[in-house]
Amino acid sequence: MTVEESDLVLVKRVQRGDKTAFDLLVRKYQHKVVKLVLRYVRNPAEAEDIAQEAFIKAYRALPQFRGDSAFYTWMYRIAINTAKNSLASRDRSPIAYDLDLTDPEESHSVQTKLQDPDTPEGMALTEEIRLIVNSAIEALPEELKTAIVLRELDGLSYEEIAAAMECPVGTVRSRIFRAREAIDKRLREVFEGGLGRTEEMV
Amino acid sequence: MNEERDSQLSAMFDGELPGAECELLARRLTRDEVLRSQWSRYSMIGAALRAERGVALHDRVAWRVQSAVAQEASYGDGTDIAATAARTAAVVPAELQGRANRRRWMRFARPMAGAGIAASVAALSIVWLRTQDPQQSLLAQAPVSESIVLTPEVNSTTVALNQTPASRPVSNGEPDRYVTPALNAQTSLAPTARLANYVVAHSEFSGPLSRRMALLGLVASENGEAAVAPEADGAAATEANDAP
Repeated sequence: MTVEESDLVLVKRVQRGDKTAFDLLVRKYQHKVVKLVLRYVRNPAEAEDIAQEAFIKAYRALPQFRGDSAFYTWMYRIAINTAKNSLASRDRSPIAYDLDLTDPEESHSVQTKLQDPDTPEGMALTEEIRLIVNSAIEALPEELKTAIVLRELDGLSYEEIAAAMECPVGTVRSRIFRAREAIDKRLREVFEGGLGRTEEMV
Repeated sequence: MNEERDSQLSAMFDGELPGAECELLARRLTRDEVLRSQWSRYSMIGAALRAERGVALHDRVAWRVQSAVAQEASYGDGTDIAATAARTAAVVPAELQGRANRRRWMRFARPMAGAGIAASVAALSIVWLRTQDPQQSLLAQAPVSESIVLTPEVNSTTVALNQTPASRPVSNGEPDRYVTPALNAQTSLAPTARLANYVVAHSEFSGPLSRRMALLGLVASENGEAAVAPEADGAAATEANDAP
Protein backbone atom coordinates (compact mmCIF):
# COMPACT_ATOMS: atom_id res chain seq x y z
CA MET A 1 0.00 0.00 0.00
CA THR A 2 1.23 3.52 -0.80
CA VAL A 3 0.83 6.75 1.15
CA GLU A 4 -1.91 7.75 -1.31
CA GLU A 5 -3.86 4.54 -0.69
CA SER A 6 -3.35 4.81 3.05
CA ASP A 7 -4.73 8.36 2.99
CA LEU A 8 -7.60 7.23 0.80
CA VAL A 9 -8.67 4.78 3.49
CA LEU A 10 -9.04 7.75 5.86
CA VAL A 11 -10.72 9.90 3.20
CA LYS A 12 -13.33 7.20 2.59
CA ARG A 13 -13.99 7.00 6.30
CA VAL A 14 -14.60 10.78 6.35
CA GLN A 15 -16.95 10.44 3.39
CA ARG A 16 -18.87 7.82 5.35
CA GLY A 17 -19.31 10.25 8.24
CA ASP A 18 -16.20 9.72 10.40
CA LYS A 19 -14.92 13.20 11.30
CA THR A 20 -12.11 11.77 13.43
CA ALA A 21 -10.53 10.29 10.31
CA PHE A 22 -10.30 13.84 8.93
CA ASP A 23 -8.59 14.90 12.16
CA LEU A 24 -5.95 12.24 11.48
CA LEU A 25 -5.33 13.66 8.01
CA VAL A 26 -5.03 17.17 9.46
CA ARG A 27 -2.61 16.02 12.15
CA LYS A 28 -0.53 14.27 9.54
CA TYR A 29 -0.31 17.17 7.09
CA GLN A 30 -0.71 20.32 9.21
CA HIS A 31 3.03 21.05 9.39
CA LYS A 32 3.54 20.52 5.67
CA VAL A 33 0.58 22.75 4.82
CA VAL A 34 1.76 25.53 7.16
CA LYS A 35 5.21 25.31 5.63
CA LEU A 36 3.68 25.55 2.15
CA VAL A 37 1.58 28.59 3.06
CA LEU A 38 4.63 30.26 4.59
CA ARG A 39 5.99 30.63 1.06
CA TYR A 40 3.18 33.10 0.42
CA VAL A 41 2.52 34.94 3.65
CA ARG A 42 5.72 34.54 5.66
CA ASN A 43 4.02 35.31 8.95
CA PRO A 44 3.66 32.04 10.93
CA ALA A 45 0.47 33.07 12.75
CA GLU A 46 -1.17 34.13 9.51
CA ALA A 47 0.08 30.96 7.81
CA GLU A 48 -1.65 28.91 10.50
CA ASP A 49 -4.89 30.81 9.96
CA ILE A 50 -4.73 30.19 6.23
CA ALA A 51 -3.83 26.52 6.76
CA GLN A 52 -6.83 26.17 9.05
CA GLU A 53 -9.10 27.79 6.46
CA ALA A 54 -7.70 25.50 3.76
CA PHE A 55 -8.39 22.38 5.83
CA ILE A 56 -11.96 23.47 6.49
CA LYS A 57 -12.46 24.11 2.78
CA ALA A 58 -11.03 20.67 2.08
CA TYR A 59 -13.46 19.09 4.52
CA ARG A 60 -16.38 20.82 2.81
CA ALA A 61 -15.17 19.74 -0.63
CA LEU A 62 -14.38 16.18 0.43
CA PRO A 63 -17.59 14.64 -0.99
CA GLN A 64 -16.25 15.60 -4.44
CA PHE A 65 -12.87 13.99 -3.82
CA ARG A 66 -12.74 10.70 -5.72
CA GLY A 67 -9.10 9.78 -5.22
CA ASP A 68 -8.00 10.60 -8.79
CA SER A 69 -5.00 12.32 -7.23
CA ALA A 70 -3.33 11.86 -3.86
CA PHE A 71 -5.05 13.55 -0.93
CA TYR A 72 -2.01 15.71 -0.22
CA THR A 73 -1.77 16.86 -3.86
CA TRP A 74 -5.41 17.90 -3.70
CA MET A 75 -4.90 19.56 -0.32
CA TYR A 76 -1.80 21.30 -1.65
CA ARG A 77 -3.84 22.97 -4.40
CA ILE A 78 -6.54 24.08 -1.99
CA ALA A 79 -3.91 25.53 0.37
CA ILE A 80 -2.19 27.47 -2.42
CA ASN A 81 -5.51 28.83 -3.71
CA THR A 82 -6.51 29.85 -0.19
CA ALA A 83 -3.17 31.61 0.39
CA LYS A 84 -3.43 33.44 -2.95
CA ASN A 85 -7.02 34.46 -2.29
CA SER A 86 -6.04 35.67 1.15
CA LEU A 87 -3.30 37.83 -0.32
CA ALA A 88 -5.56 39.17 -3.05
CA SER A 89 -8.37 39.99 -0.64
CA ARG A 90 -5.99 42.01 1.51
CA ASP A 91 -4.49 43.60 -1.58
CA ARG A 92 -1.02 42.79 -0.44
CA SER A 93 2.08 41.43 -2.05
CA PRO A 94 3.80 38.41 -0.45
CA ILE A 95 6.76 40.48 0.76
CA ALA A 96 6.25 44.20 1.36
CA TYR A 97 8.90 45.42 3.72
CA ASP A 98 10.19 48.91 3.19
CA LEU A 99 13.58 48.17 4.68
CA ASP A 100 17.13 48.26 3.49
CA LEU A 101 18.15 44.64 3.27
CA THR A 102 21.74 45.53 2.48
CA ASP A 103 22.14 46.83 6.03
CA PRO A 104 23.16 43.76 8.10
CA GLU A 105 21.41 44.96 11.25
CA GLU A 106 18.15 45.76 9.49
CA SER A 107 18.33 42.56 7.48
CA HIS A 108 18.69 40.52 10.66
CA SER A 109 15.67 42.30 12.09
CA VAL A 110 13.61 41.34 9.02
CA GLN A 111 14.72 37.72 9.22
CA THR A 112 13.69 37.63 12.86
CA LYS A 113 10.29 39.09 12.01
CA LEU A 114 9.78 36.59 9.19
CA GLN A 115 10.52 33.60 11.41
CA ASP A 116 9.05 34.84 14.61
CA PRO A 117 6.58 32.33 16.05
CA ASP A 118 3.45 33.92 17.46
CA THR A 119 3.87 33.40 21.22
CA PRO A 120 6.78 32.87 23.59
CA GLU A 121 5.18 29.59 24.68
CA GLY A 122 4.95 28.45 21.10
CA MET A 123 8.55 29.35 20.50
CA ALA A 124 9.67 27.54 23.63
CA LEU A 125 7.72 24.40 22.84
CA THR A 126 8.88 24.25 19.25
CA GLU A 127 12.46 24.75 20.29
CA GLU A 128 12.14 22.16 23.00
CA ILE A 129 10.69 19.58 20.64
CA ARG A 130 13.45 20.19 18.13
CA LEU A 131 16.11 19.72 20.77
CA ILE A 132 14.52 16.54 22.08
CA VAL A 133 14.14 15.05 18.61
CA ASN A 134 17.68 15.92 17.61
CA SER A 135 19.22 14.59 20.81
CA ALA A 136 17.10 11.43 20.59
CA ILE A 137 18.24 10.91 17.00
CA GLU A 138 21.85 11.31 17.99
CA ALA A 139 21.43 8.68 20.69
CA LEU A 140 19.99 6.10 18.28
CA PRO A 141 22.02 3.14 17.03
CA GLU A 142 23.40 3.82 13.56
CA GLU A 143 21.03 1.50 11.66
CA LEU A 144 17.94 3.03 13.29
CA LYS A 145 19.20 6.56 12.67
CA THR A 146 19.92 5.82 9.00
CA ALA A 147 16.50 4.22 8.49
CA ILE A 148 14.51 7.10 10.01
CA VAL A 149 16.60 9.76 8.24
CA LEU A 150 16.19 8.05 4.85
CA ARG A 151 12.46 7.90 5.45
CA GLU A 152 11.77 11.35 6.90
CA LEU A 153 14.40 13.48 5.21
CA ASP A 154 14.85 11.72 1.90
CA GLY A 155 11.29 10.43 1.63
CA LEU A 156 12.36 6.95 0.49
CA SER A 157 9.92 4.04 0.54
CA TYR A 158 10.60 0.99 2.71
CA GLU A 159 11.64 -0.95 -0.37
CA GLU A 160 14.14 1.71 -1.40
CA ILE A 161 15.54 1.89 2.13
CA ALA A 162 15.82 -1.91 2.19
CA ALA A 163 17.84 -1.77 -1.05
CA ALA A 164 20.03 1.01 0.29
CA MET A 165 20.67 -0.72 3.62
CA GLU A 166 20.82 -4.21 2.12
CA CYS A 167 18.28 -5.73 4.47
CA PRO A 168 14.70 -7.07 4.20
CA VAL A 169 11.73 -4.67 4.05
CA GLY A 170 10.45 -6.11 7.35
CA THR A 171 13.68 -5.09 9.05
CA VAL A 172 13.32 -1.55 7.68
CA ARG A 173 9.79 -1.35 9.04
CA SER A 174 11.02 -2.55 12.42
CA ARG A 175 13.97 -0.14 12.49
CA ILE A 176 11.84 2.89 11.59
CA PHE A 177 9.29 1.93 14.21
CA ARG A 178 11.97 1.47 16.88
CA ALA A 179 13.53 4.81 16.01
CA ARG A 180 10.17 6.54 16.29
CA GLU A 181 9.43 4.78 19.53
CA ALA A 182 12.72 5.94 21.06
CA ILE A 183 12.10 9.56 20.01
CA ASP A 184 8.45 9.40 20.99
CA LYS A 185 9.34 8.12 24.45
CA ARG A 186 11.36 11.28 25.02
CA LEU A 187 8.58 13.46 23.62
CA ARG A 188 5.97 11.83 25.84
CA GLU A 189 8.07 12.65 28.88
CA VAL A 190 7.99 16.31 27.86
CA PHE A 191 4.28 16.39 27.15
CA GLU A 192 3.36 14.46 30.25
CA GLY A 193 5.77 16.58 32.31
CA GLY A 194 3.52 19.56 31.62
CA LEU A 195 5.94 21.76 29.75
CA GLY A 196 4.44 21.30 26.33
CA ARG A 197 0.81 20.36 26.62
CA THR A 198 -0.83 20.87 23.25
CA GLU A 199 -4.17 21.62 24.89
CA GLU A 200 -2.66 24.64 26.63
CA MET A 201 -1.49 25.96 23.33
CA VAL A 202 -4.98 26.34 21.93
CA MET B 1 0.46 -6.72 21.38
CA ASN B 2 0.91 -2.96 21.83
CA GLU B 3 4.27 -3.11 20.15
CA GLU B 4 2.76 -4.82 17.13
CA ARG B 5 -0.03 -2.25 17.04
CA ASP B 6 2.44 0.63 17.32
CA SER B 7 4.55 -0.91 14.60
CA GLN B 8 1.45 -0.99 12.41
CA LEU B 9 0.75 2.63 13.25
CA SER B 10 4.25 3.62 12.16
CA ALA B 11 3.88 1.67 8.91
CA MET B 12 0.44 3.18 8.25
CA PHE B 13 1.82 6.67 8.79
CA ASP B 14 4.36 5.92 6.06
CA GLY B 15 1.73 4.35 3.80
CA GLU B 16 3.44 0.97 4.05
CA LEU B 17 0.76 -1.04 5.84
CA PRO B 18 -1.20 -3.65 3.85
CA GLY B 19 -4.71 -2.53 2.88
CA ALA B 20 -6.73 -4.83 5.15
CA GLU B 21 -4.64 -3.98 8.21
CA CYS B 22 -4.87 -0.30 7.32
CA GLU B 23 -8.68 -0.46 7.35
CA LEU B 24 -8.70 -2.12 10.77
CA LEU B 25 -6.20 0.28 12.26
CA ALA B 26 -8.03 3.31 10.83
CA ARG B 27 -11.16 2.07 12.58
CA ARG B 28 -9.24 1.69 15.81
CA LEU B 29 -7.59 5.10 15.45
CA THR B 30 -10.94 6.85 15.29
CA ARG B 31 -11.84 5.37 18.70
CA ASP B 32 -8.50 5.63 20.46
CA GLU B 33 -7.27 9.10 21.47
CA VAL B 34 -3.97 7.72 22.78
CA LEU B 35 -3.19 6.27 19.37
CA ARG B 36 -4.17 9.54 17.71
CA SER B 37 -1.78 11.44 19.97
CA GLN B 38 0.94 9.03 18.97
CA TRP B 39 0.06 9.63 15.32
CA SER B 40 0.41 13.39 15.98
CA ARG B 41 3.81 12.93 17.54
CA TYR B 42 4.99 10.88 14.57
CA SER B 43 4.02 13.85 12.40
CA MET B 44 5.85 16.19 14.78
CA ILE B 45 9.00 14.05 14.70
CA GLY B 46 9.07 14.27 10.90
CA ALA B 47 8.59 18.04 10.95
CA ALA B 48 11.32 18.45 13.59
CA LEU B 49 13.71 16.28 11.60
CA ARG B 50 13.06 18.30 8.48
CA ALA B 51 13.75 21.45 10.52
CA GLU B 52 10.89 23.31 8.87
CA ARG B 53 11.61 26.94 9.71
CA GLY B 54 8.69 28.98 10.98
CA VAL B 55 6.54 25.90 11.49
CA ALA B 56 5.46 25.61 15.09
CA LEU B 57 5.64 22.04 16.34
CA HIS B 58 2.28 21.73 17.99
CA ASP B 59 -1.22 20.66 17.11
CA ARG B 60 -2.88 24.06 17.21
CA VAL B 61 -4.01 23.96 13.59
CA ALA B 62 -5.40 20.46 14.10
CA TRP B 63 -7.27 21.48 17.23
CA ARG B 64 -8.78 24.52 15.59
CA VAL B 65 -9.78 22.57 12.50
CA GLN B 66 -11.28 19.86 14.67
CA SER B 67 -13.41 22.45 16.51
CA ALA B 68 -14.56 23.98 13.23
CA VAL B 69 -15.32 20.62 11.63
CA ALA B 70 -17.36 19.63 14.70
CA GLN B 71 -19.81 22.40 13.69
CA GLU B 72 -20.04 21.01 10.15
CA ALA B 73 -22.44 18.33 9.00
CA SER B 74 -21.19 14.76 8.94
CA TYR B 75 -21.11 12.92 5.66
CA GLY B 76 -22.47 9.47 5.20
CA ASP B 77 -26.00 10.23 4.11
CA GLY B 78 -27.27 12.08 1.05
CA THR B 79 -28.71 15.07 2.88
CA ASP B 80 -25.48 16.05 4.55
CA ILE B 81 -23.52 15.78 1.34
CA ALA B 82 -26.15 17.79 -0.52
CA ALA B 83 -26.07 20.49 2.17
CA THR B 84 -22.31 20.69 1.94
CA ALA B 85 -22.32 20.72 -1.85
CA ALA B 86 -23.92 24.17 -1.80
CA ARG B 87 -21.14 25.53 0.39
CA THR B 88 -18.56 23.77 -1.74
CA ALA B 89 -19.54 25.72 -4.83
CA ALA B 90 -17.70 28.74 -3.49
CA VAL B 91 -14.70 26.73 -2.39
CA VAL B 92 -13.95 24.25 -5.17
CA PRO B 93 -12.51 25.65 -8.40
CA ALA B 94 -14.96 25.78 -11.31
CA GLU B 95 -12.98 23.16 -13.19
CA LEU B 96 -13.27 20.65 -10.34
CA GLN B 97 -16.95 21.47 -9.91
CA GLY B 98 -17.61 20.85 -13.62
CA ARG B 99 -15.81 17.52 -13.41
CA ALA B 100 -17.88 16.54 -10.40
CA ASN B 101 -21.11 17.45 -12.22
CA ARG B 102 -20.10 15.37 -15.24
CA ARG B 103 -19.39 12.41 -12.96
CA ARG B 104 -22.78 12.84 -11.29
CA TRP B 105 -24.50 12.86 -14.70
CA MET B 106 -22.53 9.78 -15.80
CA ARG B 107 -23.66 7.95 -12.66
CA PHE B 108 -27.26 8.13 -13.92
CA ALA B 109 -26.52 7.84 -17.62
CA ARG B 110 -24.42 4.66 -17.39
CA PRO B 111 -27.15 2.29 -16.15
CA MET B 112 -29.61 3.76 -18.68
CA ALA B 113 -27.19 3.29 -21.55
CA GLY B 114 -26.42 -0.24 -20.35
CA ALA B 115 -30.10 -1.15 -20.26
CA GLY B 116 -30.61 0.29 -23.74
CA ILE B 117 -27.72 -1.69 -25.20
CA ALA B 118 -28.91 -4.89 -23.50
CA ALA B 119 -32.44 -4.43 -24.92
CA SER B 120 -31.07 -3.79 -28.43
CA VAL B 121 -28.88 -6.90 -28.30
CA ALA B 122 -31.81 -9.00 -27.09
CA ALA B 123 -34.06 -7.72 -29.90
CA LEU B 124 -31.39 -8.36 -32.54
CA SER B 125 -30.82 -11.86 -31.16
CA ILE B 126 -34.53 -12.69 -31.43
CA VAL B 127 -34.70 -11.46 -35.03
CA TRP B 128 -31.54 -13.31 -35.95
CA LEU B 129 -32.65 -16.55 -34.32
CA ARG B 130 -35.94 -16.44 -36.21
CA THR B 131 -34.21 -16.04 -39.54
CA GLN B 132 -31.72 -18.81 -38.65
CA ASP B 133 -34.31 -21.44 -37.59
CA PRO B 134 -33.06 -24.59 -39.39
CA GLN B 135 -36.53 -26.08 -39.95
CA GLN B 136 -37.86 -22.88 -41.45
CA SER B 137 -34.74 -22.52 -43.51
CA LEU B 138 -35.04 -25.99 -45.02
CA LEU B 139 -38.73 -25.55 -45.75
CA ALA B 140 -38.08 -22.25 -47.39
CA GLN B 141 -35.35 -23.69 -49.58
CA ALA B 142 -37.00 -26.95 -50.59
CA PRO B 143 -39.24 -25.51 -53.36
CA VAL B 144 -36.30 -23.56 -54.68
CA SER B 145 -34.23 -26.73 -55.01
CA GLU B 146 -37.08 -28.59 -56.62
CA SER B 147 -37.49 -25.98 -59.28
CA ILE B 148 -33.94 -26.17 -60.55
CA VAL B 149 -34.14 -27.66 -64.03
CA LEU B 150 -31.01 -28.81 -65.66
CA THR B 151 -30.19 -30.49 -68.91
CA PRO B 152 -28.25 -33.73 -68.55
CA GLU B 153 -25.85 -33.10 -71.40
CA VAL B 154 -24.62 -29.86 -69.85
CA ASN B 155 -24.14 -30.84 -66.24
CA SER B 156 -24.29 -34.58 -66.08
CA THR B 157 -21.06 -34.77 -64.12
CA THR B 158 -22.17 -32.15 -61.63
CA VAL B 159 -25.54 -33.59 -60.77
CA ALA B 160 -25.09 -37.29 -61.31
CA LEU B 161 -24.14 -37.89 -57.71
CA ASN B 162 -27.05 -35.82 -56.45
CA GLN B 163 -29.81 -37.64 -58.25
CA THR B 164 -32.84 -38.72 -56.29
CA PRO B 165 -35.32 -41.39 -57.37
CA ALA B 166 -37.95 -38.74 -58.05
CA SER B 167 -35.73 -36.96 -60.49
CA ARG B 168 -34.31 -39.90 -62.47
CA PRO B 169 -34.27 -39.34 -66.22
CA VAL B 170 -37.18 -40.61 -68.23
CA SER B 171 -36.57 -42.24 -71.56
CA ASN B 172 -39.06 -40.33 -73.73
CA GLY B 173 -36.52 -37.83 -75.08
CA GLU B 174 -37.80 -35.00 -72.92
CA PRO B 175 -35.25 -33.05 -70.89
CA ASP B 176 -34.53 -34.84 -67.67
CA ARG B 177 -35.16 -33.22 -64.24
CA TYR B 178 -32.49 -33.20 -61.67
CA VAL B 179 -32.93 -31.93 -58.20
CA THR B 180 -30.01 -30.26 -56.51
CA PRO B 181 -30.21 -30.96 -52.79
CA ALA B 182 -30.72 -27.95 -50.61
CA LEU B 183 -27.46 -28.53 -48.73
CA ASN B 184 -25.52 -28.56 -51.96
CA ALA B 185 -27.11 -25.34 -53.05
CA GLN B 186 -26.18 -23.72 -49.77
CA THR B 187 -22.56 -24.77 -49.74
CA SER B 188 -21.85 -24.46 -53.45
CA LEU B 189 -18.95 -22.29 -54.41
CA ALA B 190 -20.32 -21.84 -57.94
CA PRO B 191 -20.33 -18.30 -59.35
CA THR B 192 -23.57 -16.38 -59.37
CA ALA B 193 -25.63 -15.68 -62.49
CA ARG B 194 -24.35 -12.16 -62.38
CA LEU B 195 -20.81 -13.38 -62.62
CA ALA B 196 -21.75 -15.77 -65.46
CA ASN B 197 -23.45 -12.95 -67.34
CA TYR B 198 -20.40 -10.86 -66.85
CA VAL B 199 -18.15 -13.63 -68.21
CA VAL B 200 -20.40 -14.12 -71.24
CA ALA B 201 -20.74 -10.41 -71.93
CA HIS B 202 -16.96 -10.05 -71.85
CA SER B 203 -16.29 -13.36 -73.55
CA GLU B 204 -14.07 -11.82 -76.13
CA PHE B 205 -11.60 -11.12 -73.34
CA SER B 206 -12.03 -14.40 -71.47
CA GLY B 207 -10.69 -17.78 -72.37
CA PRO B 208 -12.99 -20.71 -73.33
CA LEU B 209 -12.02 -22.68 -70.23
CA SER B 210 -12.99 -19.92 -67.80
CA ARG B 211 -16.27 -19.41 -69.67
CA ARG B 212 -17.04 -23.10 -69.40
CA MET B 213 -16.20 -23.20 -65.70
CA ALA B 214 -18.43 -20.20 -65.03
CA LEU B 215 -21.33 -21.78 -66.85
CA LEU B 216 -20.87 -25.16 -65.22
CA GLY B 217 -20.91 -23.46 -61.88
CA LEU B 218 -23.94 -21.45 -62.81
CA VAL B 219 -26.11 -24.49 -63.54
CA ALA B 220 -25.37 -25.80 -60.06
CA SER B 221 -26.25 -22.51 -58.37
CA GLU B 222 -29.48 -21.17 -56.88
CA ASN B 223 -32.83 -21.00 -58.56
CA GLY B 224 -32.87 -17.33 -59.38
CA GLU B 225 -29.49 -17.63 -60.88
CA ALA B 226 -30.31 -20.87 -62.66
CA ALA B 227 -33.05 -19.10 -64.57
CA VAL B 228 -30.46 -17.47 -66.71
CA ALA B 229 -28.60 -20.72 -67.33
CA PRO B 230 -30.19 -21.70 -70.64
CA GLU B 231 -29.48 -18.30 -72.18
CA ALA B 232 -26.00 -18.31 -70.83
CA ASP B 233 -25.51 -21.86 -72.01
CA GLY B 234 -26.59 -20.95 -75.53
CA ALA B 235 -24.38 -17.96 -75.58
CA ALA B 236 -21.51 -19.99 -74.20
CA ALA B 237 -21.97 -22.58 -76.89
CA THR B 238 -21.80 -19.86 -79.54
CA GLU B 239 -18.73 -18.38 -77.93
CA ALA B 240 -17.18 -21.82 -77.63
CA ASN B 241 -17.56 -22.33 -81.36
CA ASP B 242 -15.92 -18.98 -82.04
CA ALA B 243 -13.05 -19.76 -79.75
CA PRO B 244 -9.82 -20.94 -81.33
